Amino acid sequence: MTLVGLAARNVLRNKFRAALTVAGVAVAIITFLLLRTVLWAWTAAADYAAKDRVVTRHKVTFIMTLPLSYAQSVRSLPQVKASTFCNWFGGKDPKHDKEFFGSLACDTETGFTVYDDMVVPPDVLDQWKHDAQGAIVGDVIAKKMNWKVGDRVTLQTGIYPKEGDWEFRISGIYQAKSKAVDRSTFIFHWKYLNDNLPANRKDQIGWIVSRVHDPSQAAGVGVAIDKVFDEKEIQTLSQDERAFNASFLASISAVLTAINIISVVILVIMALVLGNTIAMGVRERTNEYGVLKALGFSNKHVVMFIVVEAIVIGVAGGLLGLAIGYPFIEGGLGRFLEENMGSFFPYFKIDPRMSVLAMFLAVALAAAASVIPAISAARLKTVDALKRIA
Amino acid sequence: MDTATEKAPASHRDKAEALVSLRGIVKIYERGGEQLKILDGLDLEIAKGSYEALMGPSGSGKSTLLNLIAGLDRPTAGSIDIGGKRIDQLNESQLARWRADTIGFIFQSYNLMPVLTAVENVELPLLLTKVPSSERRQRAQTALRVVGLEDRMDHFPRQLSGGQEQRVAIARAIVNDPALIVADEPTGDLDRKSADDILGILEQLNRELGKTIVMVTHDPAAAERAKVIRRLDKGQLK
Repeated sequence: MTLVGLAARNVLRNKFRAALTVAGVAVAIITFLLLRTVLWAWTAAADYAAKDRVVTRHKVTFIMTLPLSYAQSVRSLPQVKASTFCNWFGGKDPKHDKEFFGSLACDTETGFTVYDDMVVPPDVLDQWKHDAQGAIVGDVIAKKMNWKVGDRVTLQTGIYPKEGDWEFRISGIYQAKSKAVDRSTFIFHWKYLNDNLPANRKDQIGWIVSRVHDPSQAAGVGVAIDKVFDEKEIQTLSQDERAFNASFLASISAVLTAINIISVVILVIMALVLGNTIAMGVRERTNEYGVLKALGFSNKHVVMFIVVEAIVIGVAGGLLGLAIGYPFIEGGLGRFLEENMGSFFPYFKIDPRMSVLAMFLAVALAAAASVIPAISAARLKTVDALKRIA
Repeated sequence: MDTATEKAPASHRDKAEALVSLRGIVKIYERGGEQLKILDGLDLEIAKGSYEALMGPSGSGKSTLLNLIAGLDRPTAGSIDIGGKRIDQLNESQLARWRADTIGFIFQSYNLMPVLTAVENVELPLLLTKVPSSERRQRAQTALRVVGLEDRMDHFPRQLSGGQEQRVAIARAIVNDPALIVADEPTGDLDRKSADDILGILEQLNRELGKTIVMVTHDPAAAERAKVIRRLDKGQLK
């Protein structure tokens, strides 16, 4: 028997209460992990964006287009290694009109060179290039929509109306090499889109993506690109991909901030509940602390007994939270979100650093929550503590 | 000695060295803005090896006096010398350390730790010493044998009778070989038979191991088992 062992044993004094408290901590930890994972997954596209890619768009807004000639101008800059361009198609499968997935019309020759974190086998790519209506789709959306290579797919769009539906043939499936890649995107030939548009909408592109020779100079290259179009009728805004992705997040920054705050509030609530439970236990056992002090245990010992008890609860709750949280968040909810909301959550996994932080906070907050009851118990005079009846 | 009913031979008493020496003890409590003088200039000497009973009506200051002797409380005025040490001059942590080394406590309600077995309860005070773990356990087992509980070592308090719990408490009180055992109504919660057993053990500890015992009791039959009976009334020894 040791002093710490004795303190730990007190946790099981009231097994039902201890179980409820541990469960409470576990729920708080799971909620914290879930909210943090939502934040992480949401910002993953920005955090894991390629460092050597610069995105150029219309200076006014993302939804306004650029002339096709701009792509050639960008490509000719010495700092640019390669560049491609795409249009947001906004397609929907009429058979699954509630399923959302990104659909892009990209330049055939350069699309997968610039977006090389979408991995397509060379023979599949070659086959796609030779099929005007061919499409490459992400593995997650393919699985979800049950699309197989060779399948014919019809999409409808409000952005590019056309007589008759847009018909495609699945040429292949890409795999993601980076956590930032949405595995639910539908990519087809820009030429197919352009050829089927009325004359007044032809040769317009949504954005240009360029790979630069020196990633450390990406921001400078962006400035150089914009300078090219400074005197033109349509000016551009170029950003490195991280900033570009982050600019999307800016529009939901209030939501992200709210999630951030809620994740902290959850832990504060956990600490308050824990503090109340510990205080209740201490109040019930005041007489015992009096006995310990009478036997010669010091005030520091009493504080240690109570804080260690709280830490044991924190550790147990934290471990239980992680044990349940991992399969729940990564296996269940995460898989569901990746499959159904891949555009928002392409990679819904717990950041290991968050697990460590959650565990640390469970222990630290449990210890902090016990400090006031512990000091109160320690300060109580021995004779007064002995008079208390449990 | 006019303040006590003396049962020991006078010659033995005179030669005995004083283990406990209280001089001019005043204890005043404040309750609701009112000052209550519980002990009023009390002097007391308890010889080493003595077994004394403190009696008196409720509110006479028996438990207060016992708490002062045991270093659980401080006097408002006066000095307390136990075994040559002025404990009224010690700070809180020194007092805690002193209690661990010097005092064995026996409470009316036994006050065992419910999460610990009998042997672990007895071992508890030894956690504050440098005694190695294996020796701690041996000493605790020996103490339990002294009180006749060798067959209940691994029982939890809830599995013991009141008398057995109090015997565990006595084992806990003697395990660190204290100079002084203080007992506050040790038989107050027990039936007659169990009370007799406990008093027998206390007598045995005093007689055979030479332990100095100070016991507060309401029970005349329990007091009769002590060597000296002292009576307190209105803060004074009569």
